[in-house]
Amino acid sequence: MSQDKNASNLPASWLWGAVALGALGVLGSYAAAGPERFWANWVFWFVLLFTLGLGSLFIVALEHLVNAKWSVPIRRIPERLATLLIPSIPVGLIALGAIPVLYPGARPEAAHHPLLAGKAFWLSMPFFSARTVVALALCLLGLWVLVGGSLKQDATKDPAFNFKARKFAPAFMAIFALVVTLVAFDWISGLTPEWYSDIFGVYVFAGAFLSGLAATALAVLHLQDQGRLEGVRGDHLYNLGGFLFAFTVFWSYIGFAQYMLMWYANLPDEVIWYKVRLQGSWHLITLVLAGLHFVLPFFALVTRDSKKDPRRLRRVAYLMLGAHVLDIYWLIFPILGASPRFSWPELSFALFFLGGILLWARGAMQKGEDMPVGDPFLREGLEFRL
Amino acid sequence: MPETSYAVLGVFETPDALMKAIPQARAAKLGTVEAYTPYAIHGIEEALGLRRSPLGGMVLVMGILGAITAFGFQYWISAIDYPIITGGKGAGSWEAFIPIMFEVTVLFATFTAGLGMLFLLNKLPFFGHPVLSSKSIKGITRDRYVLAVEAESEAFDSAAAARTLQAAGAIEIEALPAPDRSPFLTSDYILRTLGGIFIACVVAGLAMYFATKWFPVLAPMKYMHEQPRLNAQKASDFFKDGHGMQQPVPGTVARGYLPTATGTQEEAASLVNPLPRTPEVFALGKKVYTNRCEVCHGAVGNGVGSLTAAYGAKPANLQAQQFLDYPDGKIYWAIVNGKNSMPSHAPYLSERERWAVVDYVRALQRAQNAKDEDLKVATR
Ligand code: HEC
Repeated sequence: MSQDKNASNLPASWLWGAVALGALGVLGSYAAAGPERFWANWVFWFVLLFTLGLGSLFIVALEHLVNAKWSVPIRRIPERLATLLIPSIPVGLIALGAIPVLYPGARPEAAHHPLLAGKAFWLSMPFFSARTVVALALCLLGLWVLVGGSLKQDATKDPAFNFKARKFAPAFMAIFALVVTLVAFDWISGLTPEWYSDIFGVYVFAGAFLSGLAATALAVLHLQDQGRLEGVRGDHLYNLGGFLFAFTVFWSYIGFAQYMLMWYANLPDEVIWYKVRLQGSWHLITLVLAGLHFVLPFFALVTRDSKKDPRRLRRVAYLMLGAHVLDIYWLIFPILGASPRFSWPELSFALFFLGGILLWARGAMQKGEDMPVGDPFLREGLEFRL
Repeated sequence: MPETSYAVLGVFETPDALMKAIPQARAAKLGTVEAYTPYAIHGIEEALGLRRSPLGGMVLVMGILGAITAFGFQYWISAIDYPIITGGKGAGSWEAFIPIMFEVTVLFATFTAGLGMLFLLNKLPFFGHPVLSSKSIKGITRDRYVLAVEAESEAFDSAAAARTLQAAGAIEIEALPAPDRSPFLTSDYILRTLGGIFIACVVAGLAMYFATKWFPVLAPMKYMHEQPRLNAQKASDFFKDGHGMQQPVPGTVARGYLPTATGTQEEAASLVNPLPRTPEVFALGKKVYTNRCEVCHGAVGNGVGSLTAAYGAKPANLQAQQFLDYPDGKIYWAIVNGKNSMPSHAPYLSERERWAVVDYVRALQRAQNAKDEDLKVATR
């Protein structure tokens, strides 16, 4: 039976058009809207792309770590999504250009700033860049071992990979924790270097994991629409939905814990970050974020059916991706001013990067087998029942 | 076969045989069809037509109720019943309520899940399910799969049930007689349990009491009691003067008692009464006046109160022309600072009460010097 692998997809030419049109806007925004706005957008998309890729890689690593069987049939999907880390490397390297513009800690004045002088070395351009390069390289390593190895196994059918991956996964968890924390601290909270929050890395991790899960769920459902991934059932979807449910709560827990402690202590260098986000239009966005990232998905996913039913799961997955985008926007854009910026530069960036991400993801979804056919546990995974 | 029967059990050798037999047993409509297997069999819930457990819904509802309860309690305590400002946060700060709301949500939800499952759905206390005393139970816990047709009423036809199960492929049939004693909790059992708990409590309490009394070394958990704290109205060697309670720092002002009218009475003349003249303000003023001023100044303010004779000094006649012409501020000043033999009332009256009584004095004066328009207003 020959399946049209592209059924129900946007035509590729549209996506290329979006990328081209977006690229024009992106270049234009540098000239017309100023470097600050350009770089804020660039960093925003770098963080989104990176969290999506890394979140997906985390799913893969987690499954190896706990030796999960249920997820073997769908493991190829987060593996493919994790390859988004590859385009995130050039995007991240270009983002280094934002450091002198957006990051006060990397400016020469920082050496004399009473709060920044002590961390000036850490925040300085060379060390900052070096950390980013190391983080990206470590991600590539994880990608190479976990995803590359799995792809190779399709042909070799060698169960040795499973043992190797299971041994590598714990090490990768440590690497992952380091990388997520570094990227969160450097690229996001580095925008306001006077502010610090110990739990910030965990907060960004929660968002990254959620975005990876939501993208995985969407891709699985999408491939199923095309008649692919045969054998993946409501039971598998249920687990994805359960993860989504658990981690929306986790995200909210971390987000609120961070807020509550700062609100209680009311220390000027800590609350200022929230004060900005609790005034004017940002206040509204904060409330909307809480609604979209917690309240709505919580009630949407709380029943058993909503996790099993493809239609409802798809809606929640879209919602979670949107909420993650809003979350990162909420983290980054307040540096541009009290009124949230959203007009043609943001739209151009969205066209450019969304088009690019979709093109990449679509390409990835066509490559190789849809399931890790060489994995000895595939059958067991297919037989998984709740 | 015995007269009354609890259920008829049919033993099967494989899960597949069991699954195949389920539709036939259900179609016969003789009683409730139940399966007993050594492990969970996929798809058996649907085959048996088990209804979705209502537990999830119960947990959700109770969880939400828990959140609302916790919020309500905290809000009522800290914003309505005894509004208190802690750590500079307003009285109704919802942020501080969230951890407790979370805890209570979890508490309500888990208790509902646990107790609801045990008592509502599994019908505890249910001592010894009759199937546990069947012959087939050994097989059920090992390698046999049992389908039971359980009696729903007195009219249960156990012979027909046995035939149906046999026809469906059961290799063995066992009729399970109804248990001679109710498997449910009896009042006799409840009484004995409660009595036992009561006696245990009494014994434990007495043992604790005498243990700590006779062997003070064993005093349990006295850390709270022995903490180095300052007790109100008690001596303490922490401070040089040996007092547990200290004078407030000079210049300390209690909330709502900001010093006003600190200058001379003439300077206070320009103070403006901040209160609106509403019935509540007059009611408050009347209360304060009756409690605090009437004994000296008399019910109508004419300077003849019940204490006047005993007091010696003559309280001012507030109806005198001099006081009719007084600005509010000067009356206020007299209340705060006192005047000659009239003591200061500042320690007893809040800002609001002071001004309210000023208004009330004005009302008394007006009442004694009513004009024609006032009558019109009063009789309208
Ligand atoms: C212990 C008796 C006593 C009580 C209680 C008392 N007063 Fe007086 N009050 C006096 C005396 C005596 C004077 C006259 C003082 C003087 O001028 O020598 C006086 C004077 C006054 C004056 C005139 C002050 C002035 O400028 O001459 C006012 C107004 C007044 N009282 C209001 C009040 C109000 C209002 C209260 C209740 C909050 C009150 N008093 C309670 C004894 C009392």
